[in-house]
Amino acid sequence: MAGSTTKTVQDIFQSMEYGPAAASSTASAQAWLDHHSRSLGLFIDGKFIHPAGRQSRSLTDSKGANVCSTVCVVDDDVSQCASSSVGGFKTWSGLTCYQRAKLLLKMVGTLGQHGQCWSELCEACGASCSPSNLVRLLQYYSSWAQLRDTLITNWTPLGVVAVVASDDCFLYALMLKVLPALAMGNSVIVVPGQSTAPPMLLLAQLFTAAGLPAGALNVVTGGDVTFGAKVAQNPSINHITYSGNKQDGVTLSKATAGMGVLVSFSPFIGATCPFIIFESADIDSAVDGVIETAFKKKKEVHWVLCVQESVLDSVVARLRLRMSGLKCVGLNSDEERVQVDAVVQEAQQQGATLVQPCVAPSSGAQYPPTVLCGVAPSSPSVVNLSSGPLLPLMTFRSNTEAVTLGNHSPDGRAASIWTEDLTLALETAKSLAVGSVWVNSHSVSDPCLPVSGHKDSGTCTDGGREGLYQFLRPCSSSSPLPRSSPVSMDYSKFGTATSPAVIPDDLDAASAPKPYLQFIGGKACKSVSGCSVAVQSPEGGSVLAYCPEGGRKDVRNAVEAAVKVHSGWMKKSPAARAQSLHSLAKGLEAKRRDIANLVHVQTGLSVDEAEKEVELSINKLSDWAAYCDKIQGGALPMPQSGSALSYAEALGVVGVVLPDKNPLLSMVTVLGATIATGNAVILVPSQRFPLPALAFIQVLQASDLPAGLVNVITGNRDQLTVALANHSVLKAIWYWGSMEGCQYLQYTCTSPLKTLCLFSQNVEDEDGGKEWCHPVVMEDMWRNAVQWKSVWIPTA
Amino acid sequence: MSARNPGTNLDLQWVMKVRVNTQSVLKRAQNIQGLKTPKKQWQAAWLLKAVTCIDLTTLAGDDTPSNVHRLCLKALQPIRYDLLKSMDMHDKGITTAAVCVYPARVADAVKSLKAANSSLPVASVATGFPAGQTLLETRLQEVRLAVADGATEIDIVINRMLAITGQWEALYDEICQFRAACGDAHMKTILAVGELSTFTAVYRASLVAMMAGSDFIKTSTGKESVNATYPIAIVMARAIRDYYLSTGHKVGFKPAGGIRTAQEALVWLTLIKEELGDDWLHPHLFRFGASSLLADIERQIYHHVTGQYAAYHELPMA
Repeated sequence: MAGSTTKTVQDIFQSMEYGPAAASSTASAQAWLDHHSRSLGLFIDGKFIHPAGRQSRSLTDSKGANVCSTVCVVDDDVSQCASSSVGGFKTWSGLTCYQRAKLLLKMVGTLGQHGQCWSELCEACGASCSPSNLVRLLQYYSSWAQLRDTLITNWTPLGVVAVVASDDCFLYALMLKVLPALAMGNSVIVVPGQSTAPPMLLLAQLFTAAGLPAGALNVVTGGDVTFGAKVAQNPSINHITYSGNKQDGVTLSKATAGMGVLVSFSPFIGATCPFIIFESADIDSAVDGVIETAFKKKKEVHWVLCVQESVLDSVVARLRLRMSGLKCVGLNSDEERVQVDAVVQEAQQQGATLVQPCVAPSSGAQYPPTVLCGVAPSSPSVVNLSSGPLLPLMTFRSNTEAVTLGNHSPDGRAASIWTEDLTLALETAKSLAVGSVWVNSHSVSDPCLPVSGHKDSGTCTDGGREGLYQFLRPCSSSSPLPRSSPVSMDYSKFGTATSPAVIPDDLDAASAPKPYLQFIGGKACKSVSGCSVAVQSPEGGSVLAYCPEGGRKDVRNAVEAAVKVHSGWMKKSPAARAQSLHSLAKGLEAKRRDIANLVHVQTGLSVDEAEKEVELSINKLSDWAAYCDKIQGGALPMPQSGSALSYAEALGVVGVVLPDKNPLLSMVTVLGATIATGNAVILVPSQRFPLPALAFIQVLQASDLPAGLVNVITGNRDQLTVALANHSVLKAIWYWGSMEGCQYLQYTCTSPLKTLCLFSQNVEDEDGGKEWCHPVVMEDMWRNAVQWKSVWIPTA
Repeated sequence: MSARNPGTNLDLQWVMKVRVNTQSVLKRAQNIQGLKTPKKQWQAAWLLKAVTCIDLTTLAGDDTPSNVHRLCLKALQPIRYDLLKSMDMHDKGITTAAVCVYPARVADAVKSLKAANSSLPVASVATGFPAGQTLLETRLQEVRLAVADGATEIDIVINRMLAITGQWEALYDEICQFRAACGDAHMKTILAVGELSTFTAVYRASLVAMMAGSDFIKTSTGKESVNATYPIAIVMARAIRDYYLSTGHKVGFKPAGGIRTAQEALVWLTLIKEELGDDWLHPHLFRFGASSLLADIERQIYHHVTGQYAAYHELPMA
């Protein structure tokens, strides 16, 4: 700053430079921090507590000065926090919807009074989130709190929700979970990242000042993300939801495997996202967009610029001009600088050219904004895009190639597309496998837009009505998983035990057990290994039949067949899908006597009960046929002018391990839910009672479903679970089975990420298949079978 | 002064492929308005730069030799001498860029400036200003006469009928003829953007005007209901950039109409710096068409120097 004061008017008149950025005052935030002696405690039960003798973690600002320190909690603190949250849940969920909504609205006023302190504190901690964004969130979720019981009937809050964030998580993303969880009546334990901890603590204090019951919002701080698992371990916690980077998310998932609580993942930050410029774009505005978003120090996503070949030159020329005024961007550390240098060097060695405003300074934790022109999808700079103000640029030839290029990445978080051609924009938006598409814009966020990560980018939806359901459960059922402690298990050994051979004692030619076939790619077939297993009667005495013993290769074949037909099925009109489901119902109707008899023989149910199950199954297929054109997105009420659309899209190929109970009804229900929403499915029938499912294959064969859309593989459940878990194409697994199986899946299905729905079979309840028929269960099921995509098309 | 824009052949394909996304431009304009404007000595320096870019204008029915004379002398000493001296800028030739009058007053302005021993350019509006609804022959003759009277810069208005109906060849031909009539005088082409329907039309008209050899493109006459707005300026600046990238010729930009405060002037300079770069922050590539702007700038500079807010009578009138 010393040099700047000596600049005379004449110098500046010549150079026309910008003046130095005015240093903003942080007085009120500093006063708040000083009031806490710069060492922040935990916020539990409506007040700050400072447990003695804990380790602390200090937070420094961008210049290295100490901002404050936070406490690293130990188990005692977690139990104290959890019991406070249980109490908080009682009080908070006991209020009326109106009372909860009013409180969230009151918070807007409280924030208005302390907005200055809040934004200064965010600034000081490097966790910027503007008060206006927070106000919008509060208003949006206050209205949902108000209308919960009116619009979302038959759903009930989960209880205590833990919201865990990684250190680099954005405050806005964190609040996009905390507020809906509160609005739905849950109590929340926030486990913020390092930089978001101080603003989160202040916010909790403000909430309490606004009248939030003690314990409804607790904030605990700790060391790294494994501490999130420590919190999760507490049996009072009903749900964990995570926001942040992928790496920490995986760690958390593995650490919580087997605890009987699922982690849902918000779209991960740091995903690679395509920024596609078509030749029909307003190129100047597109380049503006690039300059605004691509070279930030703290980036939510890593953009890859994809430019149509015909306009490459004009895009690069404009980038060159617009970038000429940009300054170097600060990096987080010297190590990051080394990384960035290596990436750039490697790209150059492969023939990439650089567009930079200036040559990189020889050392130091900063780097000029840099576009790497002429890289390819195989270049390390594209594959391992990690840090620094780097933007790889690739070209494409046709519109279809743009989609292929944009989709060819494990991530599926978002895309920005630029074209003035409406048809092209909508077609591209539809074809990109990402959760958010911004047309002629980028990085737009609003709580009314559902945001979900497709592919490897996440497993849950935040925002919008859709985002509320992660904080609710159907009121007809209890929690699907009992809380438990992880057992120590060797994950590599799971599912390798061979099933015992059963050889029937009385080999009588007349009553010889019938061999059944499984169903893969539209054909009834034996297993690849050729082995089969015996199916025993419910008492376990006699052998009823033999079914194929499917394995890894059978799963592989089934997935291949499913992938081939899936996109065609997804594109079919809902009416056509409904038609197929109706034909299945009809087919089952025709065979109802045979199949009811099999259910009776297989499960030992009375004939009446078995017939009832078949009857329910036929109804279920008709229900799902009717649902086909009812599951849809819509137009969303964005505050800005333009059109926001949401689409319910199929997940892809879903693997299902079915329960023993109601073997036919459960299979038909799951099959209907998955294919009505446009998925392909691989079904693993109950290992104990596979016969009804195997008999149903005849119905499938006679139907007009595309070959490969539905596959049925029988055999050892654990072995097939392992096979499903280790196939990367599967996007979701629904599992009814043992706690070990659940633990295995939670531990294994992290890379690539799969959406899991886990149900413990140990929960025994006798209600004759009623739980499959409650309407809210069907809603829960189709909500689990789709992923949301939002498309934002701003207009003037 | 750099080389003039010689113009190019009319490239209709280029003109027609132009696409402008309205909401992106509006958003960009908002962002630019949201940028922090310079403070302290930066503000003073930027404001002085703005002064040197002003075409000090009087375009009224009641203009007479006496108020034109006052205008010319104010143009030569736009900021009070003692104020300039305290910033050490008194000997840097701070004048406005030009004075701008109706054709009938050109001779008066030239006379006043010559009497004051100054070579300050005299600009004249022409071609049936402001509506342009006179016959081509009349408009051409108006240009020739203004040049003959000593105007060295001519602000022509385009024939909106041609632009609105998309007759780009005819528009190109007309502007080429004006350019020929200007001779050595620099030609600023007024697009009257308030009367063009879309941003895309503004962009296209800008390109055609530049291809026909305009030295500047100018937003408006100041007589339409919509004048110089930031979004329109962004569109025109992008057309200028486009033309520069394709031909290598730098064409100037002149917003006019409704620019009255020093604060606005700072935003305008920021916009030009952001969209076109520092090269355009000089009178030979950037002008303000304004009359009351100067008074506000002078008051701001007074405040910068003295720390007080000036009464209007403390600063010399124009």
